[in-house]
Amino acid sequence: MGRRAGGGRPGTLVDMSEPQVVTVRGLRKSYGTRVVVDDLDLDVPAGEIVGLIGANGAGKTTTVECIQGLRKPDAGRLSVLGLDPVTQAARLRPLVGSQLQESALPDRLRVAEAVELFRTPRARDGGELLEQFGLTARRRSVFSSLSGGERQRLFLVLALLNRPRLVILDELTQGLDPAARRNVWAAVRQLNDEGTTVLLVTHEMDEAEALCGRVVVMRAGRVIDAGAPADLVERHASTAVIRFSLPDPPAGLLDEVRRLDGVREVTRSGVSGTLVTVRGHRRLVAYAGAVLVRWQTVPADLSVWQPSLEDALLGLLSADQDSVDQGETAPDELLGGRR
Amino acid sequence: MSTVGRLVRAELRLMTRDPLVLTFVFAFPIVTMLIIGGAFGTKPDPAFENINPSHWYVASYLTVVIAATGLVMLPVHLASYRERGVLRRFAAAGFPRWSFALAQLVVGLLTNLVACALLLAVAAPVYGVPAVHDGWRVAVAVPLGAVAFVSLGVLLGSLLPSARSAQAVGLLLFFPSFLLGAGGPPPRVMGSVVKQVAGPLPLTLLTNAVRAPWLGLGPATGSLIGVVVLTVAATALAARRAAL
Repeated sequence: MGRRAGGGRPGTLVDMSEPQVVTVRGLRKSYGTRVVVDDLDLDVPAGEIVGLIGANGAGKTTTVECIQGLRKPDAGRLSVLGLDPVTQAARLRPLVGSQLQESALPDRLRVAEAVELFRTPRARDGGELLEQFGLTARRRSVFSSLSGGERQRLFLVLALLNRPRLVILDELTQGLDPAARRNVWAAVRQLNDEGTTVLLVTHEMDEAEALCGRVVVMRAGRVIDAGAPADLVERHASTAVIRFSLPDPPAGLLDEVRRLDGVREVTRSGVSGTLVTVRGHRRLVAYAGAVLVRWQTVPADLSVWQPSLEDALLGLLSADQDSVDQGETAPDELLGGRR
Repeated sequence: MSTVGRLVRAELRLMTRDPLVLTFVFAFPIVTMLIIGGAFGTKPDPAFENINPSHWYVASYLTVVIAATGLVMLPVHLASYRERGVLRRFAAAGFPRWSFALAQLVVGLLTNLVACALLLAVAAPVYGVPAVHDGWRVAVAVPLGAVAFVSLGVLLGSLLPSARSAQAVGLLLFFPSFLLGAGGPPPRVMGSVVKQVAGPLPLTLLTNAVRAPWLGLGPATGSLIGVVVLTVAATALAARRAAL
């Protein structure tokens, strides 16, 4: 694909018309002989929630660790809040709140003590944050006694405590139950509404769709595409499927459906061909629904399968692999989706 | 409160909740001092340089506390933090890397101070605390040794990959040092080979630098110089590892 977030190249001028909180050009990082991040460009505009997605081992966590100044890049130029994470890490880190993957607190540290330990003079009210994330009752509990979800919520409290200008969240809702996930999402949206920029590393595509204005897809240490979730779905998984039963379809109805804009295929299956399946571009859903209503044929069992960001990611990754393997891009296919 | 101040306060709290610290640094030296201090009676004995054996061990056991802190408590603590990503979290939150090492130095020294005071407080009514003959040498050797062993602890904790390996290596270093250099038999009853092995051990040098001037057995200048060299080397290496 070769599409780049921000589109810049090392050594070229960075477009500054939009204020960037994070600008990365030509980032490269290897562990021994294994290249983990390879000539990566990335922009995170101020005030946005940007998602970093991709398969395991794509280099997402290493990228955000370099952005935070926790790892030293082998090559590349990074600017975070106008500071260099390598040479100005001490000034940068207090401005960045982070929820790191695979990290912990001392086992015997109590929740309230953790808040006290991590707070700086510009900190928000720790009690309010604990209340917001449902941890007030656990104030005196030691870290080792917290459940996985409670630990994640505590990390989020600590990430938000010092009014950061940029928040980096790596696997934000790992281990959270659905209600806690929604609670955390609401907090991230609220944070963003208050003007904080968020860089979200996630495997949860529904999370990226729910929160991110823009997602960046990584594979093998490179950005292979970027854009709004809907745009990625449009580009890489635009096929929708409608299914309904019509035991005795009126003459001409299915022909009209076949002629609809975006329809690729109409098939009949099941007993006596009563099950109708329509495949095509996502916009066919509205057109097909309108036709069925106009023909006064409204099946009770009509179901719609819409492609999701997950399908787009899978399509994109498989297409990218195919292009690597065969030198051409595979057509997108419906690889799951949602009703 | 400063970053180091907040870290020191948190680490001190955690230390009081850590069973390894409570047993190994506080309880173990006291219990073994009580046992071995009573094993040889209280009559001056030629094997103990004509010193009351109980007093010999009371004067020796301050360095056991120091060694337990530096060879076991700190390496396990630090390696566990690194293994579990605690140090990474501190770093990401803006704690300078050196601040944690400095906090460990302060905590290690305070632990030594409290544990040594407790040891003497327990020894006093049981065996009595022997009079200090050469106070300034003892006053120099004890804090120097404490800094040396805390630095060794920070160094080991920064090198060993996991809490388990730190515990294994720490115990392997501690017990031979303890038996040969502080809490075991006096050098006079050791065979020549064992004496040769024991002589250059850091804990032997420190114990000798504390015990000899304390009990009036000589200035032990050679041992004190050895402790100074150890302190400088261990602190420099630890500072380099911790980017101080």
